[in-house]
Amino acid sequence: MNVLDERLNDAPKIREDQPGLRNVMNRVDAEITVEVDGLRREFDSKEGKVTALDGVNLQVRKGEIFGVLGPNGAGKTTMIRILSTLLLPTSGKAGVMGFDVEKEPEKIRAVINMASGAERAGYDFISARGNLWFFSQLYGIPSEEAHKRINELSDMLGLQNYLDRKFYALSTGYKQRVTLVRAFINDPKVVFLDEPTIGLDVMTALSIREYILKQAKEHGRTILIATHNMAEVDAICNRVAIIDKGKILACDTPAALKRSLGAPSLVLEVSPVPAPASLEPLGKLDGVKGYTSSVDEERGLSRIQVVVDSDGSAQSVIDSVRKSGMTVVSNWRQQATLEEVFVALVGRGFREREHEAA
Amino acid sequence: MKLHSNPWLRTAYARLWVRAKSIYGEPLWVAVNVGFPFFTSFSFTMVYRAYGLGAYAGFAILGGVMISFWGNVLWSMASQFNWDKQVGLFEIYISSPAPITAILVGMSLGGILGTAPSAAMVAILGWVIFAPPIHPFWPAVVLVFSLTLASLYAMGMALSSLYLAYGREADSVNEALHEPVSLISGVYFPSVGGISPFPFAVQAAASLVPLTIGMDALRQSLGFPIKVAFIPLYIEALILALMALILLLASSRALRFLENKGRRTGSIAVRQR
Amino acid sequence: MSVLRSIVASVRVGWYREFNWTNPLLGFSMRTVGPLAGVIAASSVYFVGSSAARSFSPSQLAFILIGAALYTHVAAYSWVPTLAIAEGKWTYVFPQVFISPHSSLPYLTGRTLASFFSSTLTVIVSLVLSFFILSSVFNTSIPFTVTPLSVTLLFFAMLVNILAAFGLGLLLSAYALFATKFEWALPTYVAGLLMVFSEALFPVSFLPHPVSDVANVLPFTEFMRASRQAMIQGGDVYSYFSYIGLATLGGVILLAMGFLAFRYAENRARRLGVIDKKTA
Repeated sequence: MNVLDERLNDAPKIREDQPGLRNVMNRVDAEITVEVDGLRREFDSKEGKVTALDGVNLQVRKGEIFGVLGPNGAGKTTMIRILSTLLLPTSGKAGVMGFDVEKEPEKIRAVINMASGAERAGYDFISARGNLWFFSQLYGIPSEEAHKRINELSDMLGLQNYLDRKFYALSTGYKQRVTLVRAFINDPKVVFLDEPTIGLDVMTALSIREYILKQAKEHGRTILIATHNMAEVDAICNRVAIIDKGKILACDTPAALKRSLGAPSLVLEVSPVPAPASLEPLGKLDGVKGYTSSVDEERGLSRIQVVVDSDGSAQSVIDSVRKSGMTVVSNWRQQATLEEVFVALVGRGFREREHEAA
Repeated sequence: MKLHSNPWLRTAYARLWVRAKSIYGEPLWVAVNVGFPFFTSFSFTMVYRAYGLGAYAGFAILGGVMISFWGNVLWSMASQFNWDKQVGLFEIYISSPAPITAILVGMSLGGILGTAPSAAMVAILGWVIFAPPIHPFWPAVVLVFSLTLASLYAMGMALSSLYLAYGREADSVNEALHEPVSLISGVYFPSVGGISPFPFAVQAAASLVPLTIGMDALRQSLGFPIKVAFIPLYIEALILALMALILLLASSRALRFLENKGRRTGSIAVRQR
Repeated sequence: MSVLRSIVASVRVGWYREFNWTNPLLGFSMRTVGPLAGVIAASSVYFVGSSAARSFSPSQLAFILIGAALYTHVAAYSWVPTLAIAEGKWTYVFPQVFISPHSSLPYLTGRTLASFFSSTLTVIVSLVLSFFILSSVFNTSIPFTVTPLSVTLLFFAMLVNILAAFGLGLLLSAYALFATKFEWALPTYVAGLLMVFSEALFPVSFLPHPVSDVANVLPFTEFMRASRQAMIQGGDVYSYFSYIGLATLGGVILLAMGFLAFRYAENRARRLGVIDKKTA
C-alpha cells in the first residue's frame, strides 16, 4: 500500500449506521459544508450505462477552497451538477450546509451559487449591470443592496468600466467576469465553480484566482472548484481531490500530495519523438509508478515525465530509453507536480487519459 | 410582508424588466416587428375589399393585432426555455431559489408589454387606412382582450414545458405551428360560428385553442358585423378565464415534473458530464 | 469548374440543413404544414368575404390559391442568403467561406438553390392538398389546368423567378453582411411587403397610384401572372410568355442590383471589420 492509499484510509469515515447526512455533519464536524457519501451517478447512453461517479466520498469545510482535479470526463462536472441540485444521484448521498440534495433542493438553492467557465449566460440586449441585477432578483435581493454588491464585486474583477455595455458587446474574458460576479451576487455560503478560468488569458485567469481567494478568505465562503488545471489547484486550493473515471483516488493538500511521492520525478527529453507504444515498457520497469509524455514540436523533442520511487529506478529508466534507440538529449530530477501525483496513482497522465476516453 | 420583498414578485418583475428592456432598449424593434403583421393584415383586408364585403376588413386588422401576440407567445415564450437551456440560463434558474412560475409570468407580462406597441401600431394604421365599421362595447373589449392574452400566454407557458421535453427542433416546431394555429383559430376570419367555412368537427376542435375563443369574443365585443355568433360573449369570457387557469396550473405542474425528470436523467443542462 | 464544385457542395450543405431530420417524412410534413395552412387561410378569407357578398367565383379562388402558394415559395427561399450569412457568422462558417478562393457568392447561390428545391417540393404538395381540401370544404370545382404542358410552364416560371428571388436575397444579404442587428427580422419585413406588392392575393390595380405602378412592374408580379396563365383555365400561352419575358427582364435587373449591392457591402463590411463578428 503506498503513502497515498494510507492517507485515504486515514480520512474520516462515515459509519453506515448513521442515519441522515445532517446528523453525520453535526457529529463529525460542525464546520463541514459539503458532504458526499458513496455518491454514484450513471447515465444512459447508446452503448449502455455509463458510470460518471462511482462511490465518491468527500467532506469540504467552511472557508475552504477545495479543488476537484481530474482529466476531462473524470466526473467533476457531474459532481458539481449534483451538488448544485441540477442532477440527482443514482445512489449515495450528497449534502450542502446539512441539506440533502435529493430531498431539500430548495433549501440548498438559497445558500449556494454556481458558475461554469464554459457558460456565457446572459441576455444580449441588456447591459452587464442589467443582467447582474436580474440574476440578483432570482435570490430576492433588494435592488439597492444588489447594485451595491454588483459595484463591489465588479470592482474586484476590474469590470466597473464595462458594466453599462450590452452583454453581446463584451469580450469572452469580460463575459466570464460577469459570470463570476453573478456567482457571488447572493452572498452564497457555498459556491461551485466548474473550470472557472478555462479559455482565458494568463492575466485574466490570475485576477480571477485572486478574486476567488478573497471570497473564501474574507467572507468565509466554501468554494468547490472542478478543474483540470493543475497550476490553478496549486495556486489557490487548500485541499484537492484527484478524480479519475468517477473515483476519488486521493484527497489532501496539494503540498502533502506532492510530498507523498517521496523521490523527485525524472524528466527526460528524448529524440526522435517516440511512438506512444514504444514507451509502454517504461511503465513495467521496477520502481516506476507511471509516466506521461508530451511533444515539444518546436524543438522536435519528446518530454517524458517518469514518477520513480528511488534514484536507482531513475537510472534504469534512462538505460531503458537509451536501449530502445532514442537519444536522451537531457535529463533532470524535479520536485513533483500534481500531474505526477496523478501519474503515480493512475500510471498515465491527463493527456493520455483524455486520449483514451476519446 | 411588503410586496417588494416578496421573492415571487421580485423574480417576476425582474424577468418582465429583462423582456421589456430588450424591446424598449432598441425602439427600432417596434418598427421592425410591426412589418409582417401589418402587411399580412393589409393584404387580407384588401382581399375582403376586392372580392367581398369591405365591412369585414376589421377581421383582418384585428387578426394583424392578435397575430403579433401569437407570434410572441410562440417565439418568445414557448421556445424561450429551450433557448435559455442552450446558453446555460435555464440551469441558473433551476439552481436558484426563484420560483419557475414567477419567471414564466414575468416573461409573459414582459412579452405583452413588448408586443403591445407593434400590435397597437397595426391597429392604428389599419383603422386609419381602412376605417372598418365597428360598434365596440369597451368594457367588454378590455375584459375579453385581457382574458384572451391571459389564456394565450398561459398556453405559451404550457408549450414551454412541452418544448423543454421534446424541443430539439424548437424553431421548426414553431414554424410548423404558427400558420396552422392561426388558421384554425380564425385569426383573419371567423373559423367558428355562423359564417365559418369549416365543418362542425373542425370548429369543435378549433374551440379547444384559447385563441379561437378569444378571437370570436373580441369580434363580438368590437361589434363586427357577424351574422351568427359562436356562443354568447359572457360564456366565452368564462371559458377563457377557465382556460387560463387550467393552462397555468398545467404548465406549473408540467414544469415541476420536467424539473424532477431532468434532475433524474441529467437533461436540465445541455452538457452531459 | 471549381466554382461549380463550390455551388454543388453548397447545395448539398443547404439540403442537409433543410432536411436534417431523424425522420425525413416528419421533417417534410413539418415544413409543408405551414405553407399549406397559409394557402387555406388566404382562401378562407376570400371564401368568407365573397360568400357574404354573394360574389364567390371559383376562378377567383384559383387566383388566390395559386398566389398564396407561390408567395410562400418565394418568401421561403429569397431570405436564405441572409440566413446563411447571419447563421454563418454565429457558427463561424461564413468567415471561412468568405476567405475561400471564390468567396461567398457560390455558397449563397448553392444555399439558395437547395432552398428553392425544397420549397418547390413543399409548394407542390401544398397546392395539391389545398386543391382537394378546398374543393371539398367549399364544395366547389376549382378551375385548374393540370396537363403536362401547364405543369412544365409552371416549373419554367418558377425557374425564371430564381433570378429575381436571388437578386432580392442578395439585396437583403448585403445588409446582413455588415449589420449588427435586425438582419434576422428584415427578411420577414420584406416578405410582408412582397405579399402586398406581388399580386399574391389581390390584383395590384387595387392599390393606390403610384404604388400600383411600382407593383405592376415587379418581376414577382409578372411571375405570379405567368403562373396563373399556366395553371388556371382560360390562360393563354401568348400572355404567359409575355409575362415570362417581363419577369426575366425584371429578374436580371434585380439580380444586377443585388450583385452590385452585395459587392459594395462586402467592401464596407471589410472596412468595418464585421465579416467575422457575431451579431446579437
